Amino acid sequence: MDIFFQQIINGLTIGSLYALIALGYTMVYGILKLINFAHGDLVALSAFIGMTVFAKILGGDASLFAVIALFLITMAVIAMAGVALDKAAYKPLRNAPRLSAVVSALGAGLVIQNGIMLTWGPNVNFFPGDLVPNIVWNIGGTVVTFIQMLILVLSLILMIALYLFINKTKMGTAIRASAIDKDASRLMGINVDRVISLVFIIGSALGAVGGIFIGMHYRGITFEMGWQYGLYAFVAAIMGGIGNIPGAMLGGILLGLFNALIAGYVSSTWTDAFTFLLLILIIIFRPTGILGERVAEKV
Amino acid sequence: MRKLFTTLAVLIAATFFVSSSYAEDVIKIGVQAPTTGSYANEGQGIDKAVRLLVEQKNAEGGLLGKKIKVYTCDDEGTAQAAAICGRELVNKGVIAVIGSYTSTAAQAAQKIYYNAGVLQTSDGTADALTENGYWTFFRNSNPNSAEAVYTADWIVNEKKYDRIAIITDYSTFAQGLGNAVEKETKKLGGNIIYKGKIKANSQNYTPVLTKIKSMNPDVIYFSGYYSDGGLLRAQQQQLGIEADFIGGDANDNPDFVKLAGSAAEGAYIINVPTPELLPYDVAKDFLAAYKEKYNEMPPSIWTVLNADGLRAIMHAIEETKSTDTKTIANYLVEMDPYPGFSGDLAWDETGERVGSSYLTYRINENGNYDVVSQ
Repeated sequence: MDIFFQQIINGLTIGSLYALIALGYTMVYGILKLINFAHGDLVALSAFIGMTVFAKILGGDASLFAVIALFLITMAVIAMAGVALDKAAYKPLRNAPRLSAVVSALGAGLVIQNGIMLTWGPNVNFFPGDLVPNIVWNIGGTVVTFIQMLILVLSLILMIALYLFINKTKMGTAIRASAIDKDASRLMGINVDRVISLVFIIGSALGAVGGIFIGMHYRGITFEMGWQYGLYAFVAAIMGGIGNIPGAMLGGILLGLFNALIAGYVSSTWTDAFTFLLLILIIIFRPTGILGERVAEKV
Repeated sequence: MRKLFTTLAVLIAATFFVSSSYAEDVIKIGVQAPTTGSYANEGQGIDKAVRLLVEQKNAEGGLLGKKIKVYTCDDEGTAQAAAICGRELVNKGVIAVIGSYTSTAAQAAQKIYYNAGVLQTSDGTADALTENGYWTFFRNSNPNSAEAVYTADWIVNEKKYDRIAIITDYSTFAQGLGNAVEKETKKLGGNIIYKGKIKANSQNYTPVLTKIKSMNPDVIYFSGYYSDGGLLRAQQQQLGIEADFIGGDANDNPDFVKLAGSAAEGAYIINVPTPELLPYDVAKDFLAAYKEKYNEMPPSIWTVLNADGLRAIMHAIEETKSTDTKTIANYLVEMDPYPGFSGDLAWDETGERVGSSYLTYRINENGNYDVVSQ
């Protein structure tokens, strides 16, 4: 029985990572109706930037101040990278057919990925390992490490903060309005371009947090890792309802839990098969995702 | 003016075609290795070792008076890229290819080289590689079956583990090794309580390990690669699973220790001798030259084995005074054992290397290997 709780913890941890990354996908889709395929590569970039920032700027000493600075600096850098990505790859194609923007996104992803390889080399790089105390809690057979607890707690805080921001503040309302109808929002006096930049900033910053967690938890980072996390996070966003923020959070957690439980109770060989089967079933029975709203077709 | 410019451009381009046809006085060797990706460490080691050997040979005057030219293709450790590399290297006109590091990549390109009559030597240990008996293929390592016999003996007879868990991944090599170890262990009466797979590079192995934990194993045997083995060991310790960890030969790489972190100490690895432990003078000289040129030691024995493969081919070319690949292949099968970096080199008709020597290492607190068996 205790492995059930252990699997829950495992699932929630990886699920939180997927959720953080999925939020980037869903927010950009909500506003631009574009799947930002380069998002996964931004997450990979954040792990590398975090590693370099820690070594070069913060001097490689692990203290509470250094860790907080690491997060803030990396989030800022990646947020700017996200805005730059939009300005370079997506803005010129605002009025072009949707396919053009998708191709541009794929291309941008490759540019970032290969940029990482050219800068940091094709080998596995190692994220600093002793950033947080190595405490392990053992609650009746279920083991939780400090990093796992940090991931769970911080992700939860960030997701609640995002939810409150989107629903309770003026800027959040502007974002929701722009997602529904850009032209009407402009007529209301909302600077839609600024809203779009803000969405990229938030989405990328959250992805950066995810990237740093990946580095801290798994240590080995390669230039290709963005693709794999990006794929799972994208699936999570779709499952929860693309364009829907609580949906992305739910989708991520659900995907992580499902992954862990299948690997634990059925078979590790079938994990991916079952996970994507779940995706197919959800899409068949609820095409807009679990929390997705049925948007009326404009005729 | 435009016409003049075009004519000039065409003439200049034509000279390139003419001059390249004069470049036939070289012997072309190909390297197919994962120089990017998770196994980049190993792939680059192979490339560096081959280039060092070629540089040394060219300095002595080349092979049969001709300079050797090396072409490298990155197969990223995947079958798709490997097949592309195969065609590319064959088109370039190489007579022999060193590669690849992984059995999967070696196997994907194997038929292409066989059809073109291009020699191939790889450190891949999957038994499947010599099953077809292609005359172009020469394995420079020992097959999984030999390692499995040694591993099973170590697990059952030496350490006498009661509850054995086996983890593999989806690659040709790891599945082959894992299945062979399972078979040999069962033959000796070992009790295998779990056999499962992880997806390489997925990084998150806590679900599988948690399931294994509930079965109380004494030992976890992992037959896959170091990039996953290190993380498995780290996560095993994280979850508090008190079992020994034995890694198969592909866990023998410095990155294993880096990924496992503090959990690396106490892990066991089974492999043929590491470069530093090789007793032969030629080996020590080569390692010294490698260190001098690249400022680091080769990442593992696999680099050295592949270098041995190239040396054997070069020796065959010199002895037969021919660059015809069938002649070279026949020589390699019939020759007397040729002293290499990793011991005597000799092959049978299926391309299988003759002779082997495995050891068990325990990683100590400095991340170095202590030999715990003979």
